[in-house]
Amino acid sequence: MSRKLVISLPPHFHAPGSVAGCMWRVTAALLPAFLCSVFFFGIGALAVTAISILACVGFEYAISRWLLGVTPRISDGSAALTGFLLALNLPSNLPPWIVIIGAFVAIGIGKMAFGGLGCNIFNPALVGRVFLLLSFPAQMTSWPVPGGDLMAYTDAATGATVLQLVKSGAVSFSDVDLWRQAVGNTAGSLGEVSALALLVGFAYLLFKRVISWHIPVSVCAAAAVLAWCVGANPLVELLSGGMLLGAIFMATDYVTSPMTRKGMVVYGAMIGIITIVIRLWGAYPEGMSFAILIMNGFTPLINRIFVPRRFSAGRRAAAL
Amino acid sequence: MGRTFRIGGVHPPQHKDTAGRPIVRMALPRSVTLLVGQHIGAPAELIVAVGDAVVRGQLVAEAAGAVSAPVHTPISGKVTRIALVKNSAGMPAKAVVVEADEENHVADENGLQESPDDRDSAVTAEEIREIAGKCGVVGLGGATFPSRIKLSPPKDSAIDTIVINGAECEPYLTCDDALMREYSQEIVRGSEYMMRACGAERVLIGIEDNKPEAIAAMADACGSSGVQVAVLRTKYPQGGEKQLVQALTGRTIGSGCLPASVGVVVHNVATARALYRAVKFGEPVMERIITVAGDVARPGNYLVPVGTRISSVIDMAGGIREDEVKVILGGPMMGRVAENLDAPTVKGLSGIIVLSGAQARRHAPEPCIRCGECVNVCPMGLSPYLMSTLSRLGRTDDAAAHGIADCMECGCCSYVCPASRPILDFIRVGKQKLAADRKRKKK
Repeated sequence: MSRKLVISLPPHFHAPGSVAGCMWRVTAALLPAFLCSVFFFGIGALAVTAISILACVGFEYAISRWLLGVTPRISDGSAALTGFLLALNLPSNLPPWIVIIGAFVAIGIGKMAFGGLGCNIFNPALVGRVFLLLSFPAQMTSWPVPGGDLMAYTDAATGATVLQLVKSGAVSFSDVDLWRQAVGNTAGSLGEVSALALLVGFAYLLFKRVISWHIPVSVCAAAAVLAWCVGANPLVELLSGGMLLGAIFMATDYVTSPMTRKGMVVYGAMIGIITIVIRLWGAYPEGMSFAILIMNGFTPLINRIFVPRRFSAGRRAAAL
Repeated sequence: MGRTFRIGGVHPPQHKDTAGRPIVRMALPRSVTLLVGQHIGAPAELIVAVGDAVVRGQLVAEAAGAVSAPVHTPISGKVTRIALVKNSAGMPAKAVVVEADEENHVADENGLQESPDDRDSAVTAEEIREIAGKCGVVGLGGATFPSRIKLSPPKDSAIDTIVINGAECEPYLTCDDALMREYSQEIVRGSEYMMRACGAERVLIGIEDNKPEAIAAMADACGSSGVQVAVLRTKYPQGGEKQLVQALTGRTIGSGCLPASVGVVVHNVATARALYRAVKFGEPVMERIITVAGDVARPGNYLVPVGTRISSVIDMAGGIREDEVKVILGGPMMGRVAENLDAPTVKGLSGIIVLSGAQARRHAPEPCIRCGECVNVCPMGLSPYLMSTLSRLGRTDDAAAHGIADCMECGCCSYVCPASRPILDFIRVGKQKLAADRKRKKK
């Protein structure tokens, strides 16, 4: 009998994790927020999400296959997740062609131009979103109000977000209904409206050990502390806009966030601070996307500064 | 809750199915192939020639130089061949082949039942070292470093603690567990000899809490002689020298330093027992307990004469059943694969693990997603992803600046990597390049 001996280097055991597993678990953690958005915004939420995911996967496939000439890796779920995250950052009445442009920028420029999965410096979904925000400011800031006609898509009735109202001075912090903000019965982009649904997803990610608490908690803590110091309402800041969606799902993107726990805390805290600074003193009512992208750029530097503590740290080494 | 080391570590599935099975003595083979280089250091020098008659326990090759160990034959018979044979890695290695005739074979088998001579145990430190050297005692945990040297502490370092490694943190392996259950007295006596040889005050026997029977047996055997059992919380790589010393004594060994730098010497439980047998009965190291596990019909712990063919040991455990298998020598985290099953067993071989099907294969690597898991689990506090990439790019000096020389190749990084990247493979390449570079510079 001819017997084949398999030859390989140790270790011969491998933990059950995989890249696709990570991506699908994050996708699963986003489902509660997505279902809430369908409940509040109706068919528009479904349409924008479906278009975004299909476009992202399609662009990744096409660019890999015909532009780069490499085997497409869409089965790892990372393109679908980018599409999902992009959709959750868009208003539910955004016309399909704008969603598709966003998907192209996210995948084509945000991800594939850098070399694909693992090589991008900036969070692809946020690259897509910020491109759309700068290119189509009118469409990107007319937010459908929840509870309107659930079958309406691009013709849905629109209103302002809480952050826009606060910024323009129409509403003061004390007038904001926190419960509406927590449940998600408020105007805003798809995924950001329901704080409770996002926290359910956060609990799932922590339980499954997909992410650690360091980035989300330090983002929120720094934002809350700064908001309190300058007299804004910390709870309003945390529960409105993209704060939780960004802290839990966007800032924690493995590829674009630091490697060590210490680095994660610094990175998270800076995101929280920059967000509040933009919200209170910047030109935009919301600053989460910009804050995360800015700190994405600092991630390599943070990785250089905050290296892990060595086993023998503080001990004299033997001369070699 | 037991003690453990401070940073990193993983919890691979244990598969310790062979735990609790009694040690089975393997019948003496008709022929053994004894490699002259089966320890760290210079290969032993042959002192027999083809045609010489030898008896069980006789020296066939003596230690050559300061770091070396002798080799003894486990069977009586005739030296029939001295040649280069293929070792388990498929590389040529010098060996002496001893073959038994019918008469010798029967005599040896009968001799196994007799109890060996009991010697006076009031030996001095110097005598213990001499006996360890003469009987070919080497680190039986797998490192095979000649024990005589570790029993001779340098004058400037005061050794106060002997650590006995009974952690056995590798999955599948239960040979040390079996040894501790069945020969606890001999291990304790052996560690007392070690204490005497090094002038130490205490012995700490570290055992992970997944081996309650071994802990109980060892605690019973300890008595009041300064030898004590310390329970460790199960975590891989607890058996790593630096991790074990930190877990048991709280002392941290510096980069590139030996345990002696913090007043500790570490020995494996099997080495302690071998030293006892050597001092008490003059018995050389010529057989050892090997865990045979995985996809075989009769997994278990077998007492195997050194020099037995690996395939014979597997056959005794029921043989290989699949057409395509991976045979691991040692544990699945750090053990090397066998490329040649006709190769002989050696003193340092603790386990033979047969994996088949999907278990035998590696996953296809995916792009690094920079999740940082390898950093979290590294017990040396290094950045495996970074060192791996730097050495892949040939930037060995940069990898050295990030501490690649501290890596002990435990494999935690490759184990957890969700992208199944060959992190450790490239780190190993970098370490070898670094060692070669430093050697060249010294010249």
